[in-house]
Amino acid sequence: MNSQAYRVKFWMCFIVASVATSLVPFFTSSEYILRIVTVVIFWIGMAGCWNIMSGYTGYIDFGPVVYFGIGSYATAIGMTKYGMPFFPSAVLSGIISVLIALPIGITTLRLRGAYFAIATFAFAETMKQVVLEFDRTFGVSFFQGSHGITLPIGGHDNTFFFYCFLAVTFGVILVHYGIEHSKFGYGLKAIHEAEGAAEIAGVNTTGVKLRAYVNSAFFLGVLGGIEAYWITYITPGDVFNVHKTVQMVIMTLLGGMGTFLGPIIGASFLTVLSEILGTAFVEYYLIMVGAIIITVILIMPRGVVGTIEEWSGIRFH
Amino acid sequence: MPVLECKNVTKNFGALAAVDFISFSLEEREILGMIGPNGAGKTTLFNCIIGIYKPDKGRIIFEGRDITRLKPHQVCRLGLAKTSQIMEPFRSLTVFENVLIGALHGGRMKMADALVETEKVIELVGLVRDRDKASSSISVPARRRLELARALATQARLLLLDENMAGLNPYEIDEALELLGKIRESGISLIVVEHIMRAIMGISDRIMVLNYGVKIAEGSPQEVVNDEQVIQAYLGEKVSHYLGGIGLHGNHD
Repeated sequence: MNSQAYRVKFWMCFIVASVATSLVPFFTSSEYILRIVTVVIFWIGMAGCWNIMSGYTGYIDFGPVVYFGIGSYATAIGMTKYGMPFFPSAVLSGIISVLIALPIGITTLRLRGAYFAIATFAFAETMKQVVLEFDRTFGVSFFQGSHGITLPIGGHDNTFFFYCFLAVTFGVILVHYGIEHSKFGYGLKAIHEAEGAAEIAGVNTTGVKLRAYVNSAFFLGVLGGIEAYWITYITPGDVFNVHKTVQMVIMTLLGGMGTFLGPIIGASFLTVLSEILGTAFVEYYLIMVGAIIITVILIMPRGVVGTIEEWSGIRFH
Repeated sequence: MPVLECKNVTKNFGALAAVDFISFSLEEREILGMIGPNGAGKTTLFNCIIGIYKPDKGRIIFEGRDITRLKPHQVCRLGLAKTSQIMEPFRSLTVFENVLIGALHGGRMKMADALVETEKVIELVGLVRDRDKASSSISVPARRRLELARALATQARLLLLDENMAGLNPYEIDEALELLGKIRESGISLIVVEHIMRAIMGISDRIMVLNYGVKIAEGSPQEVVNDEQVIQAYLGEKVSHYLGGIGLHGNHD
């Protein structure tokens, strides 16, 4: 669809969806439902971050959790060691993630394909080890290693965190909007399809990739900060866990890489599915979720959005 | 001032000199044909000019500016674009979007201007019918014109065309030659690599011949086609004869 029609459609849908979601806490008195919706929103944000970098460019990043972890620790240390209030800490988490993402991006984005995946994964694992061993190695008390950090309890209820995550996820969605039909977005897609041809057509491939990478890192950092405050206790093994990366990847793949709706559909589907199956089949639900994921990928290799676009000819972007 | 000057450009791959001290210059609005057997170094030379390879020796000067060490996207933004022998459209994007990328990034235009420019270029090359089709689904001649359109949209003043007519039938070749003529008229200089001698003879002001990385001849089409070295290395007597050359035995009818 052309750019004008896209803009109108987007804003209509976005406003309706935002208003509807914003009112969820008022329409349900169940804390359980509220938490589920919060988790869905959280994962839409997370998957969306992976989509911004890897979905559009095709550079499969296997270490995005590192910025989530950095964000968690930034907020935790900011609040416990330096007595900062929550909101500035969360913003600081984003900023620190960006500062680290810049040099890392410049170095790893020279690599292609599997090498990029390995390098980003290695960096994430390295960071986890650094946080674990730093205090012991240098005789300081900063990251607290495997003891973990306990954050101050702020007395906020689930509704507070619902809105925090919602705000960040809105940000991620707006970045997606900014990508579609824009110079930046076309640059990303050109890199995905034919990086060499993109270069000789004038695309500054390094700059474009770096911009996506840093964007993604910022939001991951803030999400990590909010999560840390919500669960109030973080350890390296938890916040730098590759399992989070895997979830981001699977959700985006299921929904459709490099599409606007992909992360939204993938995250919603997988979270709700896991929850339903998890309560109904406590012992076997992981196997079932795995089987369903494999089946969906086999039937719809381009994800839900990609397959619908193929079958029906409708373009969602 | 010549639009492009190559001075002693050399590119080695290990012990192989793919491009060996090649020097030439191109004047504004000139069409230079470049011919030679496969593996002679034509594409490598193009890649050195556009910045995909860094030459081991020599310099490349575009509009008075040394571009030897620049990256491809920087060279493109300065006004030098290339089409590829192996076509690489952005497959999941439409023809229009492919060309748009050239205007946006290479041409450094704002979206509004880029959209207008893209429409103009698409009309110039005759792709209006295929405008909204996925670029992976169009015919070979259309794909060739798409390569050309994307390069034009970058506002290039010099185009390097690497076998842009490969795979075309004689009628399509004539159309392509007409289009190149129009492009030259608009002020753009061209270096054209082709194996289709009829096309090269028809369009080139001058022809340069490469063999084993070395320039073995340069001159007007008539001169080149009569050159013994060129006949031995590439053309063969019959083709030279057919193209109006004199041939080894000094006979022609």
